[in-house]
Amino acid sequence: MSKEEESRRAFLKGAAAGAGIVATAGLAPDALAQSRKADASAMAHMEAGGAGHGAFFNSEESATIAAFAERLMPGAPGKPGATEAGVLNYIDLALAGAYSDQQEFYRHGLTQLDAYCRKAHNAAFARLPVAQQDAVITALESGKAEGFAWPSAQAFFNTLRTHTMEGMFADPVYGGNKDFAGWRLVGFPGAQPQFSEAEMQSKQAFTRAPMMGLQAQAKALRGRT
Amino acid sequence: MATERTDVVIVGVGGAGGILAAELSKAGMRVIGLERGPRLKTQDFEPHDELRYFQRQDLRPNWKRQPVTWRTNANGRAAPLQTLNYGAQAGGGTVHYGALSWRMHEDDFRARSATVERYGARAIPEDSSLIDWPLSYADLEPYYDRAEYELGVSGKAGNLKGARIAGGNVFEAPRNRDYPLPPLIPDRSGLIFNEAAQKLGYHPFSSPRAILSQAYKGRAGCTYCGFCQAFGCHVGAKSSILVTKLPEADATGNFKLLTGAMCYRVNSDNSGRATGVSYYGPDGSDNAIEAELVILAPFTYDNTRLLLLSKTAKFPDGLANSSGHVGKHFMTHLRARVQIAFDDEYVNVYMGPSAQKHSIDDFNSDNFDHGGMGFIRGAQISVGPVALEGGPIGAVTMNPPPGTPRWGAAYRDFFAKYYARHAAIAAQIEDLPYPHQTIDLDPNVRDQWGLPAPRLTYDSRRPNELARTEFMARKMEEMGHATRANLVWRAPETGGAPGGHHMGGTRMGADPKNSVVNRYSQSWDVPNLFLLGSSTFPTMGSGFNPTLTLQALAYLSADAIVNRYRKNPGPLV
Repeated sequence: MSKEEESRRAFLKGAAAGAGIVATAGLAPDALAQSRKADASAMAHMEAGGAGHGAFFNSEESATIAAFAERLMPGAPGKPGATEAGVLNYIDLALAGAYSDQQEFYRHGLTQLDAYCRKAHNAAFARLPVAQQDAVITALESGKAEGFAWPSAQAFFNTLRTHTMEGMFADPVYGGNKDFAGWRLVGFPGAQPQFSEAEMQSKQAFTRAPMMGLQAQAKALRGRT
Repeated sequence: MATERTDVVIVGVGGAGGILAAELSKAGMRVIGLERGPRLKTQDFEPHDELRYFQRQDLRPNWKRQPVTWRTNANGRAAPLQTLNYGAQAGGGTVHYGALSWRMHEDDFRARSATVERYGARAIPEDSSLIDWPLSYADLEPYYDRAEYELGVSGKAGNLKGARIAGGNVFEAPRNRDYPLPPLIPDRSGLIFNEAAQKLGYHPFSSPRAILSQAYKGRAGCTYCGFCQAFGCHVGAKSSILVTKLPEADATGNFKLLTGAMCYRVNSDNSGRATGVSYYGPDGSDNAIEAELVILAPFTYDNTRLLLLSKTAKFPDGLANSSGHVGKHFMTHLRARVQIAFDDEYVNVYMGPSAQKHSIDDFNSDNFDHGGMGFIRGAQISVGPVALEGGPIGAVTMNPPPGTPRWGAAYRDFFAKYYARHAAIAAQIEDLPYPHQTIDLDPNVRDQWGLPAPRLTYDSRRPNELARTEFMARKMEEMGHATRANLVWRAPETGGAPGGHHMGGTRMGADPKNSVVNRYSQSWDVPNLFLLGSSTFPTMGSGFNPTLTLQALAYLSADAIVNRYRKNPGPLV
């Protein structure tokens, strides 16, 4: 089996499972996961913190963001969630780079969130049971959480949701969507150079693995060095 | 500070400016184009990167550095819009657009007269400035034709010299010949839409797009990769100005493009004649160009902004604004959307050219009887991805169906199941002009050059518009159910916010007292100043995307400049 065929099959497995057709264990796309591990050193600068943070967040902030993102997109067997996709790593890198103008937004938001959790539930967000974490998020989303000035509770919620989704579904070169976790979850084949008429008009799931795009380019570049 | 002399300076080399740049330089005029962004190449668009291009809007102005602000009424303080849907580089919006390329209907050019004839004057809202255009469809037909053939538009004729052709848009105005290229291949969502529309007695067709369905003029055909609206085309199949008109302009040897050049003033002398422009260079330098002819072709807001920034003793209310209409009659396409999702079949709506794939024109303009409906004019209705591009980051902007939360396990399961099995039916709805919907200078917000931001004062929630929007939403719900989708649900209201395709501010007309430019997009007040783009549209005309019409108008202006103005500089009307 060629490498491409291997990854195609692996992706097929993942995509079908993500769409809820096959719900078996062993859903990790083995071929992709392995090639990913082999490339780990090349990607190390993107995951400097090991635990998935280190570019911007401190440990406590990391724990909060990781827990919050996981409640927004929780993982389950066969359904990769925020933790598996590396959403924390994505947000951490984004705040150290493209979103550096939002650092204060996050610092203030996290401080207010922490104060709210300690007042309402006597513990930091990451230490709360999931039911109470969900209650906190609901209070933020509805704007009912008290003590928020800037950012507002709703603005902080909306930003965390948006950035969590970016970390789930953006190209893996940005540090999230690890091993295409997000794309496997929903059955998105990433960048494809073309689709045929039959593919476009099919009623079936499309299962070819991502072939083009940043991750493929990065891999090709690494292959040459 | 550098000063250059040239025949023509064009500010903004996008959908309209690029056509002027090519046509005037081909006619032997020396042309300098100013572009505030870079000039990119087809190769630059190789990364199929939804985060960069859709989410972070890399080919569009950065809303923090180049803010455009909005408020609902004249008493409020405006805040920056966080999505700006126009270009930020040479080629302008044609680089990232969905490439929908429509001709307006015959009566769209005379919406006031046609409305009065059919429904009486009282059908027009009292506060609307609905007006006829100063030219007709027949005047523009040769230029629509030229734009379609020179740029490369794919579609199927629905009305060839009056003969209606099934499978094309049977409501379209008569055309003298078919499109240069056959229609783009429909995807699954197009077939679903087609079947439902036909079941209801409507007339669906593959939307005409400036995307090559086959190789044309040395350019490759579309690969249907799906990274289309919001993205540059990685094979150059999208007929953007970058791959059509700029190479033509380059080949003349008469054209020079200055990138990173932000025009901040049109200079004029005591007689009221434009003498050139001033601009900031990429290094912050303050420069000037002296020109015989000044053409402004930036995005809609900046035509108004530049005139207001170029006040003189002769024009104290803004250059070329003796009418007082500069900045007025601002319009945007309103939006209504219905989402559909299937339990047992995939749609894979991320495939193929992404925006407004398949359409019906049955409820556009005055193509249906509005008698007793409480509103006039209509919408183009089409199918495609919710965010006009089909990747998952776009799709998470979709509201889940009632009862499903926006996060947590239930949301994850909804999105995992339906991401590849949903599509959106969307109405792009005409907005009537109103004089008090305006563009002016924001007194509180400045851009990266220190210039006051364009400020929009606008609220789409007026009775005629609300009734039109609700009508379209109901029609789309019916269509959604006709697809036999398992889920059919509406997108939320937009809160009065400006929608797509911003127009107006320097409207054209037949009377210098109530318009800013004549039918040639030439300033009434300053004959060596032309203002191009959808800022000149006196009405939206229809629910159709404006690009092909503003491009046809650019060809018309170019012809008038080359054949008439050059010999006898002065008013063309």
